[in-house]
Amino acid sequence: MSDTEFDVAIAAYLIPDLAQNEFDALVKLVEDDQLEVEGVALVTSDADGTVAVKETGDHLGRKGLEIGGGVGLVVGLFAPPLLAATIVGGAVGGVVGKFAKHRVESGLEEKMGAALPPGSAGIVAIYDRAKTDTVNTTLASAVRKSVAHVDRGGAKELKAALAEAQAGMGG
Amino acid sequence: MKPPEGAPNVLVVLIDDAGFGNPGAFGGPIDTPNYDRIAADGLRYNRFHVTAMCSPTRAALLTGRNHHAVGMGGIPEASGGFPGYSAMLPKDAAPFPKVLKENGYSTAAVGKWHLTPEKEQGPAGPFDHWPNAWGFDYYWGFLAPEAGQFDTMIAENQKFIGVQEGKDGKPFYFPEAMTDQAIDWLHGVRGHESEKPWCLYYSTGCSHAPHHVWKEWAEKYKGRFDQGWDELREETFERQKTLGVVPADAILTPRDELMPAWDSLDENGKRVFARQMEVYAGYSENADHHVGRLLDSIEEMGELDDTIVIWIWGDNGASLEGTPTGSFNEGTMVNGLPLTNEEQMRLALKWGGLEAWSTEMMYPHYSTAWAWAGNTPFRWGKQVASHLGGTRNPLVVRCPQRIADSGGLRSQFTHVTDIGPTILDMVGIPQPTHVDGVEQQPMSGVSFAGSLEDSNAPERHTQQYFENFGNRAMYKDGWWLSMRMPRIPWRLDPELLKKFAPGVWKPDEDPVELYYLPDDFSQATDLSASHPEKVKELQRLFWEEAEKYNVKPLLAGFSPFFGILPPLGSQTTVTYHGDVQNVAPGAVPRVYNHSYTISADLQIPDGGAEGVIVAKASHLGGFSLFVQDGKLKHTYAFLGVFEYHQESEGELPTGDVNVELTFAADEAKPATPGEVTLFVNGEPVGSGRLDHTVPFGFSGYAGMDVGRDNGLVVDRSYADKAPFAFTGKVKKVVFDVAPHLDDKDEHALHEHASQADTVRGIRA
Repeated sequence: MSDTEFDVAIAAYLIPDLAQNEFDALVKLVEDDQLEVEGVALVTSDADGTVAVKETGDHLGRKGLEIGGGVGLVVGLFAPPLLAATIVGGAVGGVVGKFAKHRVESGLEEKMGAALPPGSAGIVAIYDRAKTDTVNTTLASAVRKSVAHVDRGGAKELKAALAEAQAGMGG
Repeated sequence: MKPPEGAPNVLVVLIDDAGFGNPGAFGGPIDTPNYDRIAADGLRYNRFHVTAMCSPTRAALLTGRNHHAVGMGGIPEASGGFPGYSAMLPKDAAPFPKVLKENGYSTAAVGKWHLTPEKEQGPAGPFDHWPNAWGFDYYWGFLAPEAGQFDTMIAENQKFIGVQEGKDGKPFYFPEAMTDQAIDWLHGVRGHESEKPWCLYYSTGCSHAPHHVWKEWAEKYKGRFDQGWDELREETFERQKTLGVVPADAILTPRDELMPAWDSLDENGKRVFARQMEVYAGYSENADHHVGRLLDSIEEMGELDDTIVIWIWGDNGASLEGTPTGSFNEGTMVNGLPLTNEEQMRLALKWGGLEAWSTEMMYPHYSTAWAWAGNTPFRWGKQVASHLGGTRNPLVVRCPQRIADSGGLRSQFTHVTDIGPTILDMVGIPQPTHVDGVEQQPMSGVSFAGSLEDSNAPERHTQQYFENFGNRAMYKDGWWLSMRMPRIPWRLDPELLKKFAPGVWKPDEDPVELYYLPDDFSQATDLSASHPEKVKELQRLFWEEAEKYNVKPLLAGFSPFFGILPPLGSQTTVTYHGDVQNVAPGAVPRVYNHSYTISADLQIPDGGAEGVIVAKASHLGGFSLFVQDGKLKHTYAFLGVFEYHQESEGELPTGDVNVELTFAADEAKPATPGEVTLFVNGEPVGSGRLDHTVPFGFSGYAGMDVGRDNGLVVDRSYADKAPFAFTGKVKKVVFDVAPHLDDKDEHALHEHASQADTVRGIRA
């Protein structure tokens, strides 16, 4: 793991295409080396309330469509059983691989589903804590946002951070 | 008694909370094919006026008298001691349906009522002010000022029958159900009496909040309001001119600074606001659809051409009460809980996002600015009797025998009090001088039947006062004096109202505006500075009319804010034996702003029981005391914003069990926090804090039930078992709502409760 300290943010949107725009903006920041992320995912809840990962981005700013090869860390956390093979097979960063090997089952998909009613969308991002302001500015249209620090360590710590961020989405 | 030979049927349709610029037939953006159809077969009246408020308009409509003259200067929730504001229909003002009934008509009312004093809405009555007593043989609908369209608490004749099931496997939906009831009634009457004419008053809950409609109706409007309210007004105005319902030389009035410019909103805000209007439009079109079903049914009976159809689109202008943000739950506004745009969006997300904006999960009301757009080309809206945005609404009339120029336009000044006299005139029944031995007030409205045949018929309604909650206007011979009290319609807090107290407020010092309507359709050019004598003349005339029709004292409807209170109720202990259900909001024991206890005697069989002991309203505001997983539980829903839960540590015993909830308020004051303690057989078993409590009321329409939670449930954890009827036996539930109060506290809370009634009612 690099020396960078990370935060995990969960952001929920009433308007899915605004989430898409801001997801794209995050990835662009990564591409332009203005932001370091360990992963970012766009999650949508369709009219029936089925929650799915629509798009992902990794630490290099590479976007993956649907469940593509460029899956980032957050997706591994988001839906590990489904994505484990992709993650393990993907040449993503060490942190991702580490977490992927742990097959973190955070239950985030279920929780995120509760936080994302039908027709809404969310962004989950793990990013350089020093760029919190940049991320906040970029995720301007989120109507709920929750952030937690990721303590150094393994899957357990990241899972705890996600749970903390998730708890902040309640109420 | 037989009706006059060839007397026609009468159908009066009244839409709720809608504006001049809403329906397509008047240039609005809402598709209203059935309103268009009646307009095309009949006439449009583009200078028709209402009172700017719900109950006053309804009283004026049904009696043909000015609203204050029949005790409805205010609303039934705050009926008080002044004659013009008593909410008690006087015996000397028989409504026209009663006159028709006693002259051989069958009569019925379906839908929203809102003319019965709230304290009389229970099995003990009295029933003198329920719909039957107003002259309707049959009534089915809701008495409340507003109602959820999916969980409406229905009254039939003189009894609450509660939330109904849907038909044919479909969920209940009030607009559909009320139409079915109307059609069934017509079929029944015709099956019984082949010739007897009928009079049907069909009064929709739409388009009042909550804006509840099936998703597909809202989806139809997706993207149609993305241009925003400023452009929508301009588009509507152009269509109005093209249709001729607004003269070509009319001026579009400007937006008030209280409403934000559309362009000032961020993209998120624009999208959320657009959804609010999509839902409102779909809801409104759905109402038009169901009136269409009713019309089709009458046509199938072969009676449409023998029926006078009078259809008023709005009992007042579109409602400004959503505040500039609009709300996921109108109850937050009623209870004085201001929320920012951001907070509204977060709470909308909590209750299902924009997909749920039209569903029972929310109680939606759109933004003030959409209402303003719905009142194009006028300023202001509901409550504001001083301006046409509150008082001028679309009217269409169909009567083939009398109308030669179908599709025509009429521009005579007409008023809602004219409807009764016009109907009696058209059916050939004179206004009675005596009814039940009581000499009658003459109707203050006049017949406009002559205008049906002659577009140039002289204007007969030449003078009319307007007054609602202090906003005033005086019309005479084309001149209109606006006297708007300087109060924002959606602000009703006690501190603000102090400046309008008797002896403090000087109404004649309010700013005035003067318009000459024949030349200025939209009230765009204020002539007060150049015509001071006309201003004084109309001010004097207003006071003369105020004296004549019991308008004085002004603001009597706000009297609880000025220390004038109705008598303090003496009943502080209420006992419900057995499964009493559908207790109306006004009859629910006052569990607001002070300590109270709820005690219940239960029988729990071996093996335990589950279900609701007593519950009021829903997850958007309410409380429930229930048993789940063997434990005694209490949920307090604070307006959909917070939920508080308490539960017993252990499971309930079996056999005869007493459970009790005590709420110990920190202070006897509005919205007081406090501590809840649960007891089983006198022993404390659980506790928790309510950081916030509801100060005014959980719901304007949802009832309280013993032994179950009818309609929408308070705690969503048992929604899949709704109504979650108690599987043991609830022998009795006792509310003690006045423990430990001293006289000062008691008076203060009574004052607050009376103010609360006013606030709830004024939004109706």
